[in-house]
Amino acid sequence: MERSFPRRTDSLEEIARFVESFVNGADLGDQESFDLNLIIEELFTNMVKYSPEGRHDISVRLDREGDALLVCLTDFDVEPFDITKAPPVDTSQPLAKRRIGGLGLHFIRQIADRITYDYENRNSRITVTKSVGPADV
Amino acid sequence: MFEIRTDDSGTVFLAGRLDASQTTLADEQLATLSGTARIDLSELDYISSAGIGVLLKTYKRLHDGGGGLALLNLPARILNVFQYAGLDRILDIR
Repeated sequence: MERSFPRRTDSLEEIARFVESFVNGADLGDQESFDLNLIIEELFTNMVKYSPEGRHDISVRLDREGDALLVCLTDFDVEPFDITKAPPVDTSQPLAKRRIGGLGLHFIRQIADRITYDYENRNSRITVTKSVGPADV
Repeated sequence: MFEIRTDDSGTVFLAGRLDASQTTLADEQLATLSGTARIDLSELDYISSAGIGVLLKTYKRLHDGGGGLALLNLPARILNVFQYAGLDRILDIR
């Protein structure tokens, strides 16, 4: 299931409806819905933040392959920005000593099994894989 | 859909989805709090790092002013997000 969304945070409401539609069709539950919303929002808002001048909508693709969920966001005609190289957040530090930002990616790292980044022909693509239980039959 | 309201006792209730598209509204409303505030999250369905950021900003402002912030009745999925961030050890979560 794939759809493109305008590059603005206001798209999140429409993205939530898109996720709900996918969840309903893929035998997934409320926890998967929450996790998918969180993964997509954090990636999407990062793309909006770091490529505000982008002229194209951002593509969101969701797939279920057996017990794996695949979330793929593609940002077209932008400079590279590999979020997988961002330093980890030290959540043991007091608030005053923490660096600003990075919490969204930290959430994804907590939820996901795998995060990959590809950059080709000026297109940035982030793919997140998360395992789920077997599909209901 | 995100909603914010205050009951007669002064407890603030956040309901629905607190995502990056709702932080301006939440920020404006929570900026009116002073002293020691109570925010009930029992009706909150979803929160992201942007929503967490609004609550942290409120916590810091109240804490720096000599007050405090208590977060009440967090649903399990919302609590998970605070735990991911290590904030369950820092904030007053009841």
